[in-house]
Amino acid sequence: MPWYLHLALRQLFPTGRRFPFFTLISTLGVTLGVALLIIVMGVMGGFAYETKHKIVDTEGDIQIKARGAIADFPAVVKRVESVAGVAAATPYASDTVMIKFGDKAAYPQLRGIDLDSVGQVTPLDRYMIVGSLDDLDDDSIVLSAQLAQSIGANVGDTIEVYSPLTIQRMGEDEVFLPRQVRVVGMLEIGKQQLDSSTVYGTLRLAQDLYGLGSTVHGINVRLKPGVNEDDGAARINAVLPEDIRAFSWEDSFSDFLWVLSLERNMIFFLLLFIVIVAAFSVMSSLLISVVRKTREIGLLGALGGRPVQVAACFCAQGFFIGVLGTAAGLALGFTALAFRNDVVLWITKVTQRQEVMRRFYEFSELPSHTTGSTVALIVVMTIVISTLAGLLPAWKAARLKPVEALRSE
Amino acid sequence: MNDPVLSARGLRKSFRSGDAMLEVLRGVDLDVAAGESVSIRGESGSGKSTLLNLLAGLDAPDEGTVAWDGSSDTGARRRSGYLGMVFQSFYLVPELDACSNVLLARRILGGIDAAARSRALELLDQVGLAGRAHHLPSQLSGGERQRVALARSLINHPRLIVADEPTGNLDERTGNAVVDLLLGLCTSATTALILVTHNAAHAAKTRRSLVLTAGTLGGS
Repeated sequence: MPWYLHLALRQLFPTGRRFPFFTLISTLGVTLGVALLIIVMGVMGGFAYETKHKIVDTEGDIQIKARGAIADFPAVVKRVESVAGVAAATPYASDTVMIKFGDKAAYPQLRGIDLDSVGQVTPLDRYMIVGSLDDLDDDSIVLSAQLAQSIGANVGDTIEVYSPLTIQRMGEDEVFLPRQVRVVGMLEIGKQQLDSSTVYGTLRLAQDLYGLGSTVHGINVRLKPGVNEDDGAARINAVLPEDIRAFSWEDSFSDFLWVLSLERNMIFFLLLFIVIVAAFSVMSSLLISVVRKTREIGLLGALGGRPVQVAACFCAQGFFIGVLGTAAGLALGFTALAFRNDVVLWITKVTQRQEVMRRFYEFSELPSHTTGSTVALIVVMTIVISTLAGLLPAWKAARLKPVEALRSE
Repeated sequence: MNDPVLSARGLRKSFRSGDAMLEVLRGVDLDVAAGESVSIRGESGSGKSTLLNLLAGLDAPDEGTVAWDGSSDTGARRRSGYLGMVFQSFYLVPELDACSNVLLARRILGGIDAAARSRALELLDQVGLAGRAHHLPSQLSGGERQRVALARSLINHPRLIVADEPTGNLDERTGNAVVDLLLGLCTSATTALILVTHNAAHAAKTRRSLVLTAGTLGGS
């Protein structure tokens, strides 16, 4: 090992001594910065991952839409299912309705689904908490749990549904009665936006409500595992007429994904300042070290050490603090993530805010998802910043002339 | 005839003192032969340390030349192998034990191996610190620290050792022992020695004794 690296390690971890105070404080700052980055980015990643997961579970990998409604959809579904990489396709009709139960009204999206094929594309059964999709018929609906709670409806109750068509005809002075439907089940997807404003019914019910006849609003597609969504969409588009287009879920929700990505990047950038502040602490410690060790630096020059090697000795100390602080920060961060739900549960129990947490943050448990690239970015940025923190002390040390350094008091 | 281990010609050095220039060295000439020991005495402020710094290549003269073994290359790379240095304040690295302090000069020269470790222990044995190789400087007395510094100056088999008042921080008895040890080690290794000292008795033990007066060197 070159002498300057050996000396850098020895100055940080002297033989036969306890962990030096300067090293401890400098490392601790980096550790806390990295741990916080890992925890926050993990939780942010978890929110994004869970949200994406829910989108794919409720919308499929690919959405097919037309300028208007899709006519002869069975033929389109058949053509789409013949494309390589496509596992299944299911038609849907979806629009906003007004529902009324007693004196309470709400304005959810009512989505008509094809009961024969929906299970192969969007696994809604997985999210049913009361009843089953099999109980659905053309005069019944499944309510999302929070929506049911907000209007006070239960399984077995009958509610009134007003579609845009109903309201339009009412405006034309026609008498048009709302559709009476029974509640046969409830589902909870775990995403507040969907759980508070979604109703599922049969495709026939939705077609009747929206006056679609035998057409549909769109088709959801599930790809076989491992097939890329963009490739799948391109292949499907190749067999579709020009007025019907397939979009990957990433294309369909590109604005939403961009916002998620922007949030993550901004938070990463802001939290990185903690590491930068920690780096200033490293720099300050090393600058003090340069002043304290001026005569030693002079000795190194007198013994034949070149200025660049003396500089490397102090830069290496910044690097080693960065590596050590990063390793400890990763351990601390991942440990905190492992126990995150216990901590959140304890806090919400103590403050009696479990329900608020679920309503406000959309998830009943704090999600976490950390990618290798995020960890790599945190590790590289932290070590680079810590090493750069050693540059100024290194430059000051390298500028010292041995003869003047040896003479210093 | 072989080139002298050290040859200095016409060394001049001035320092700014306020508005005036203070001429410390006014044309110093010095030759030191292989294995020779030379002492330089002088009053405080006479320029002894300045001269030593020029001879060791740590500072550049305003005028004149310094050559080691006929070569004017006195840079850091060459210094680590050619020259050993001993200072009044020992200058041991506090985080390294005695053995590692001795080996530091070797590491700077270009890495250590088993033979280097063995030589470091041998040198510590020669200076009477065989049992203290793994003690930190803070666990050693002043005399012991200076002996570690002596061992460090010899680890790279230097042709020349320059010692700048090595007994300045030691009591008389310890100082005598250190100088005797230094002279003995230099003699046995046929290493030349330049000893800067205030002590006339120590100077008398060297083969040639010089005095720096008014910026020039002369015999005692």
